[in-house]
Amino acid sequence: MHELSLFASVPDHQHHELLQQLAGLTAMQPRHALERRLIFKAYRAPGQTAVRTGGSQDVQAGDMQKLNKMLNGGMFYTQVVGPVSEADFGSNPAPDHDTQMAGMDGADDSKSSPKVQLSSSYDYDQQPWKLEFRDIPEAGTRSAVTARVMASATLPRGDIAPSMNAWGYRFVTEYVVEGDIFIHNDITLFLHRVLHYPVSQQQGPSLPRQTLPAFKEMETQMQSMKASQATMGYVLQAFINVQDGSNQETMKTASQHLFGLREQLKSAVKLEQADRLSLDTRVKDRGGQR
Amino acid sequence: MVAPVVGFQALFAMSDSFTLPLRPVVEREDNPDTLPVEIAQIAEHWGSFRDVNEDILQAKIREERENDGLQDTENDDQETSDIDTTERIEQLYKKRNEITQFAVQSHMEALFALDFISLLLSKNAPRQAETSISAYLKQVAPLGSLDAEAVNPPPRSESATKDISTVSRGWRIQNFNSASSKLLKAASRLETEVSSESRYWNEVLAVKDKGWKICRLPRERQALGVQYGFLEATPVFRDRGLASLRRSEDGSLILDKGLIPSGVRFVRVRVRQGSIITSSTKPPAATSDNAESVEQRILQARDSVFEEELFHELVREARSMASCGVTTRLNLIQVPASDDTEILLDLVDANDESLEADQNSTEADRLLADGLAHSMRILLAFAHRQNLRRRTQVPPPLTSKKRLTPEYHLLRPVLAYFQHLVQLRWLNSFLQDITNVFRLSGLEIPKLDINAFTNKTSPRPSPSTPTVEALVQKFLMPVESVFQGNLTGQNSFKITIRTNLSAAPFGTHYDVSFNFPSFSDLKSPGPIGLRDEVESAITHALLLEVISRVSSEELPTEKKSPDGVSKSWDAIYPHLGELLLSGSSSSSSKYKKMKVNLSRHDLSLSTYFVRGVDGFGRGTGEERTHSEPNTWTSPQQSTESTNGHTSMMEFVISEGTD
Repeated sequence: MHELSLFASVPDHQHHELLQQLAGLTAMQPRHALERRLIFKAYRAPGQTAVRTGGSQDVQAGDMQKLNKMLNGGMFYTQVVGPVSEADFGSNPAPDHDTQMAGMDGADDSKSSPKVQLSSSYDYDQQPWKLEFRDIPEAGTRSAVTARVMASATLPRGDIAPSMNAWGYRFVTEYVVEGDIFIHNDITLFLHRVLHYPVSQQQGPSLPRQTLPAFKEMETQMQSMKASQATMGYVLQAFINVQDGSNQETMKTASQHLFGLREQLKSAVKLEQADRLSLDTRVKDRGGQR
Repeated sequence: MVAPVVGFQALFAMSDSFTLPLRPVVEREDNPDTLPVEIAQIAEHWGSFRDVNEDILQAKIREERENDGLQDTENDDQETSDIDTTERIEQLYKKRNEITQFAVQSHMEALFALDFISLLLSKNAPRQAETSISAYLKQVAPLGSLDAEAVNPPPRSESATKDISTVSRGWRIQNFNSASSKLLKAASRLETEVSSESRYWNEVLAVKDKGWKICRLPRERQALGVQYGFLEATPVFRDRGLASLRRSEDGSLILDKGLIPSGVRFVRVRVRQGSIITSSTKPPAATSDNAESVEQRILQARDSVFEEELFHELVREARSMASCGVTTRLNLIQVPASDDTEILLDLVDANDESLEADQNSTEADRLLADGLAHSMRILLAFAHRQNLRRRTQVPPPLTSKKRLTPEYHLLRPVLAYFQHLVQLRWLNSFLQDITNVFRLSGLEIPKLDINAFTNKTSPRPSPSTPTVEALVQKFLMPVESVFQGNLTGQNSFKITIRTNLSAAPFGTHYDVSFNFPSFSDLKSPGPIGLRDEVESAITHALLLEVISRVSSEELPTEKKSPDGVSKSWDAIYPHLGELLLSGSSSSSSKYKKMKVNLSRHDLSLSTYFVRGVDGFGRGTGEERTHSEPNTWTSPQQSTESTNGHTSMMEFVISEGTD
């Protein structure tokens, strides 16, 4: 599947107005969405690449070629996305829970542990997950949209880190995306912002969090970060997924739809192609992992 | 937009109180032209008074009259010639020629003037003048060959300056006059414009206050439109739900729907029994008296577009339902409701006088038609909501295949209801008949527990679904009814009727299950599609019931058989309805058998003697004696008695004790 998208950055003060405008354009109420996003990084376990290479005499079977390609091909960061609701966030800040929780394994402990906030109904064991893979955007396309190969798959509920580890992915970090979704014909419009978790004492949590901090806290965190980075605001992403990326016709229709939307929204926001390298999902330091 | 209007109004309110002195004041000259001057003028114009006599004056008058007459006739001629089109075209060409000639001439003159001025200027500014001078003149006259000099005109006489000042004064006054009249005309025009504009805007605001959505027209950015249609309708009808609000000359609002016919139309539901139309729905009554108000017209337009969409969708659905016996004509849908009842749906003009309701309508049919009409509309509104739901979901990936919009479920739930009702009535009447047979036979009547129209299969609606939608969703579920029959002992049977026209399996299915502990080999028939099979299954179950009652009946014991074995009827072949009198003298090779027959309308028992019982086989194996069998049949009416036995049990006992 291909994803064609256009992006626009929306400053905070314009957010409310744009929400109204989009609601008018799409004739629907915004659908609020909160998503946990975990970043995983592919790694190559030592010795795993020992598929016979170089033997030029025997013709490699098709399967072998495929396997070789998979094992030696590029490695990517992937995202694991889990929808959450605002009620899942704790109401009180609980600064050092995460570190404790991260140390324990199994969610049964967290359930029975009295330290878990009772006010939050978040159940990590029942958290649904979806794996979302995005390739680096295609280079050298003449049309002014960001096109990239994408795939997504539903993952088992609950603690996802062991499964991902088994598949050769290492947890890197996580954040929360908060925003509103609009649908305009084929186009999905996602006006969102990124929220970071409050910085915990432990440097770099090695596992996904099992409890969520207070939502307010994340927002204040956001505010404090904004003080340092003036550009933090909302992002409007308009995208269409195309089933068959090799079908030029549908790709063309999709980008034309996006251009049509860009024209319609011209007076409100400026939708444009994203910088290709800023959306690079490849793992760079291949040598370091060996 | 409102603020300047108010400003103008204020201005004009002021203008009522005092008039602006726009027109120049015409001074009455104190000394009008003196008589000698006038006499001099007349003398100048007409000649000396001395030459005037009556003849000349008469001739003058006649001449003037003739002139007038001539002009009149000329006008007449023109009018008549106007009709001649070829001449008109000729005239048109002539006039056009004239116009072009004039244009060419004026162009020439302008060029001459330009040349002249250029030549004149070439004396002082040759460079500049050279650019505008024509090539021909450059050849003919050398540059700078013309010069101009200011000369002092000779001083004018006093009378001449006075004349000039008078004439210029007159010109000025005239100009002032025309300017002021133009201004006043403009002011009055503005006033009417402002009043009509403010009226227009007031009406627009009134429409907006009623809650209608006012927007700019997408194609015509200057015009306003009102959106009354349904956003979730099929695109054709969604786009029709927008009409422009135009302003008439006097400022009143006109609802301009473009090319769409303005009539009020509605989907009429008629019920036909056989060939007679027994009921027909009436057009929706106008909600208010002033049918001409804009609000009312918007409502009408909305209703019309809804009705037309409804019919469109009905036709679309009806075409896919040909397998259910639904037929479509150009403007008519025929839906079979039951054996002799048919529903007719068509789109008609509400103002049509020929739509008078029939006199022979029955209350039940009227309710049926009204209910059907309402449910169709509710289902369409529900389909709109579903569309909104679908539209606001994240779309599936784009493919080259076009996404089809499925037909709405408008007729199918209704038809399913009808079909279910027919089946329910049939089953009910069948069970009534057969229990009647039981009653007439003096048997205990099976207890029937009817639970009609229970949709057990409806899943719990998700909490996000609004109540209204959850309510309507129930209609779209398969219709289900349950009959529970409790017989004597533990025996019971259960019939579930399920009608589903929305998804496979289509049609009505019966699910019959038996619970007969005394006949362990009796299996439940499971899902059945045919009525006859259901009938025979139930009859069979009840036959077993009769047999179990007969066999459990205690026969009187006073007439004991010699070997002391009490007699009883044993069900040897219960599924065939055969019983054998046990305990009878085993030495004799004659056995008494009883055969039970149960049908929908009667129950019959017959006893006869057979020579031998082989244990299997019937008819072929058994040898009947030649004696006439004793037969008991259930009475057709309760008062009737057959064979002298009033009830079946008496017959059973008497036959058993023989």
